[in-house]
Amino acid sequence: MRQLLDPAGELLGDAPVGLDETRRLYAAMVEARVYDRKCTALQKQGRLATYAPFEGQEAAQVGAAAALRPDDWVVATYRDAALMWMHGYTWEALVLGRTGDERGGSPPEGINILPPSITVGAHMLHAVGLAWGERVLGTDRVALTSFGDGATSEGDFHEAMNFAAVFSTATVFLCQNNHYAISLARATQTRAETIADKSVAYGMPGEQVDGNDLFAVLTATMTAVASARNGAGPTLIEAVTYRLGPHTTSDDPGRYRPAEEVEQWRERDPLERVRLYLASQDRWDEEWQRELDRTASERIERAVNIAEGLDPLPASDPFDRMFATASPLLAEQRDEAR
Amino acid sequence: MAYEFRLPDIGEGLTEAEVVRWLVEVGSAVDLDQPLVEVETDKAVVEIPAPRQGVVLHHGAPVGAVLEVGAVLAVIGEPGETWGEGGGDKPSTEVPAETEEVVPATKVVAPIVGSISEEAEVLGAIASVEPARPQALPLVRKLARELGVDLAAVAGSGPGGRVTRDDVVSASEPDGAEGDGGDERVRLSRLRRTIAERMTRSWREIPHVTTFDQVDAGRLLAARRALAERHQRLLPIEALVAKAVIPVLASFPEFNATLEGDELILHHRFDLGFAVDTPDGLVVARCQDADKLGLMDLAGEVSRLAEGAKARTLRTDELTGQTFSISNIGAVGGGYGTPIIPYGTTAILSVGRAQDHPVVRDGAVVVAPMIPLSLSYDHRVIDGGLGRRFMAQLIENLEEPALFLAG
Amino acid sequence: MPMLTLAQAITDALDCALKEDERVILLGEDVGRTGGVFRVTDGLIERYGSERVVDTPVAESGIVGTAFGMAVAGLRPVAEIQFMGFSYPGFDQVISHVSRIRNRSRHRFSAPLVIRIPYGGGIGAAEHHSESAEAIYVHTPGLKVVVPATPHDAKGLLLAAIEDPDPVIFLEPIRLYRAVKEDVPDGHYTVPIGPARMERTGTDLTLVGWGAMLQEVRLAADQLARDGVLVEVIDLRTLAPLDADVLVTSAEKTGRVVVVHEAPRTAGIGAEVAALVQERALYSLQAPVQRVTGWDTVFPLKRTEHVYLPDVERIVTAARRTLEG
Repeated sequence: MRQLLDPAGELLGDAPVGLDETRRLYAAMVEARVYDRKCTALQKQGRLATYAPFEGQEAAQVGAAAALRPDDWVVATYRDAALMWMHGYTWEALVLGRTGDERGGSPPEGINILPPSITVGAHMLHAVGLAWGERVLGTDRVALTSFGDGATSEGDFHEAMNFAAVFSTATVFLCQNNHYAISLARATQTRAETIADKSVAYGMPGEQVDGNDLFAVLTATMTAVASARNGAGPTLIEAVTYRLGPHTTSDDPGRYRPAEEVEQWRERDPLERVRLYLASQDRWDEEWQRELDRTASERIERAVNIAEGLDPLPASDPFDRMFATASPLLAEQRDEAR
Repeated sequence: MAYEFRLPDIGEGLTEAEVVRWLVEVGSAVDLDQPLVEVETDKAVVEIPAPRQGVVLHHGAPVGAVLEVGAVLAVIGEPGETWGEGGGDKPSTEVPAETEEVVPATKVVAPIVGSISEEAEVLGAIASVEPARPQALPLVRKLARELGVDLAAVAGSGPGGRVTRDDVVSASEPDGAEGDGGDERVRLSRLRRTIAERMTRSWREIPHVTTFDQVDAGRLLAARRALAERHQRLLPIEALVAKAVIPVLASFPEFNATLEGDELILHHRFDLGFAVDTPDGLVVARCQDADKLGLMDLAGEVSRLAEGAKARTLRTDELTGQTFSISNIGAVGGGYGTPIIPYGTTAILSVGRAQDHPVVRDGAVVVAPMIPLSLSYDHRVIDGGLGRRFMAQLIENLEEPALFLAG
Repeated sequence: MPMLTLAQAITDALDCALKEDERVILLGEDVGRTGGVFRVTDGLIERYGSERVVDTPVAESGIVGTAFGMAVAGLRPVAEIQFMGFSYPGFDQVISHVSRIRNRSRHRFSAPLVIRIPYGGGIGAAEHHSESAEAIYVHTPGLKVVVPATPHDAKGLLLAAIEDPDPVIFLEPIRLYRAVKEDVPDGHYTVPIGPARMERTGTDLTLVGWGAMLQEVRLAADQLARDGVLVEVIDLRTLAPLDADVLVTSAEKTGRVVVVHEAPRTAGIGAEVAALVQERALYSLQAPVQRVTGWDTVFPLKRTEHVYLPDVERIVTAARRTLEG
């Protein structure tokens, strides 16, 4: 398993980026965590629909996004807000989606991110088709798809991996192995020793990395993206990480995993080791941290205000977004719903 | 102003939660998103954070109590403020400017709670002793309503005792119409009913005007005899009339047309209908593109259609879609008539039997075979003057067959 | 104008689309080298190459999901599923993603793809090869569902489907592939998705059908005409969205409606037709709407498939029921 930054903040190899970029990515992880905790609070106050927290997986998501070009495609899941935000989705759109509003599924023009997939697994194929489509259209855009360890048991994982390899599409498969598919532990999900091993069956490269190590994820993704962009086809990356929170706000993880296990993973916090590394390089101090915490809170509060401040969609909206043009019978239903 | 924080549904369809532990006491300050209370739902124990900063003024329930979703969980206000349920300051769930609490402007789907009422069971029992409804189509029910007929009082004559339209009509008529004098009631045949419906529709919707005239058929009949000698068969008179009428229709397209709403569709095809008297009733058979057929072919087609109609072997498309019709009532000895325009067309020509009449020609009285003509047309689209001109040109053609037989 | 079979008309449409629009790409199992199991894509790989006529691995979800991604990226993919009975592994992609992306992204993304599916029975095929599951697709909001019954419509509807900004399920009646021939115009033309086709007008009774059932419906109409019953025949040809106007106008005119389909009866499109007619034309009805359909059974194999398929006799019997009383 590739590791470049150990939990003590010790650099074990070459840093893929300089200190300024490392500070930028650290700040992003801080902001993502503020967003994540805020959403959990909002949900418990009845202001969001169910929320799926990603705390503990910030390095996997921020590190992977940092390896992409702004016009690349991202096809991710309901637990990938940090990845999507890093690639250009706005916090307000992400909050809006979780309040139960379709406007959250519509990223800004020019940002190539599909709305987060709620079903497990099917979306991986979309990244195959998107990369293939871009190739036909003559671009060198790459499509990165993110999914969990549970999704690798879905048939669509197999079909997507196989199609990507057979047709050599510029697809990067990023598995965030966070050890649980709701309650099912990684060990009972597959008998394969690693998820990265599965790449062998499809004839594509695969690598397991420490998913809580920003540098390891970033390096692996940069390699995969470069390979895809150069026409060498897809790669599977297994980022080994841990979901510190529940599956969603409706879940009680105490039913299926011991508290000690969570505590052990807390000690491998993906933010802490970057902080220690930056501190060792004299590029972190408490004042900067306070500043980061404050600006992150402000930005997230602003996003929440924007999302909650929008007027509800009119009753006609669901009908007007089904087709380019609503059929006469659908238009009748629209009038009936008013 | 005090803010009432109501217990949200935090677990996808939960209806209640039990208070496990209060984390902030009444009178204490609380921060935004600071854990306020621990509740237990059907799914998990959950820490609920405060939705705003302030002082906790009230706990909605003590530890161990169960609250329904939507009940007041806690009240948060300013230091020194008081709150009393249903009194004092009117509590607010409105949006304070700085935090923008969302208040749904549209109706929200309510959770389904409760059980099936006893009332529903009682109503069900009552419904089950209601007498059976009379059997009748909605169409018939509507008619019965319009005519003030009580369906339950009508004995149905249809299959399975079903009340038919005729039953309702009969029931609406004054007493005595039924069963006196030994009258026989005959059920109309399927074809006869169809004819009745179509005739009614045409008569109801089309303002008919009929114009009458007669034509000296001397030359026409002479030509017909000559053709019969040459071809060893007597041509149906309809074929000759059709040949004479086609150029007239071309000159007066309103007669070869269909009125649809505010539009008159002028047909460029001449699909002539020929009324055929069959044992079951009158049928109008259609001859497609009659103008494209030579006289002999047209004559053959008219004969074939007449036979087909009588044998009921014609296809549907041979019985519909005519653009103008000719009815030879002379074949059954008729003279003048007031033909009813087939629905979907604007005119029909009825041709009577030729009879010798004295006529004045070049100052002298001579005997000539005269054929009576009756032309009905739709007065909505054809005025009397136009009707006359149509008739005049038709007569001109019929009196001088060379004019159209050559064409 | 060449005389083409329905299969040839579809090939012609695909040829047209590939020639005129570089964004069009065909993909499916065996669509390239062998020209498809029904030879509908015959010769296209030779003309357009294996980058545009793509033989895929055997994976229906893969085909549909990949085509979806291509469509979102800006291509106009035409995916082929070999038989309707094999479309179910790809159905999750259809209902969970293809049909929804415009809705969930509020027009930011759309999936203009066509999924061609040979469908229906009558050729004595193996199990899973004779299904008529159109109702499943029609019941999925966000899809258009089209079934041609003539070569002319097959070409025009397919070209319209490829140009359509939304996903279209294009169902091809297997039984008609080579059974009907007609003049089909050269080059590009479209038949609009939505309007039904009035095949024949009449005043006494409306017969509604689509796809392979149109053949049986025509024969039944002929038989009824010989008894003086003037039958109106409607070929729905687009099942989603339905052409309610044509159905209702006809029901108002004739007062009698018989709807015919090969799919199982319960919750089939016939039920939808009957519901629309009763909602909008009840007081014109002279008789209850009748359904002549396949049974609520698994489609029988060759030796008993005649028991399942609606035929002229069943249609005429139902028609006569509406004409009684």
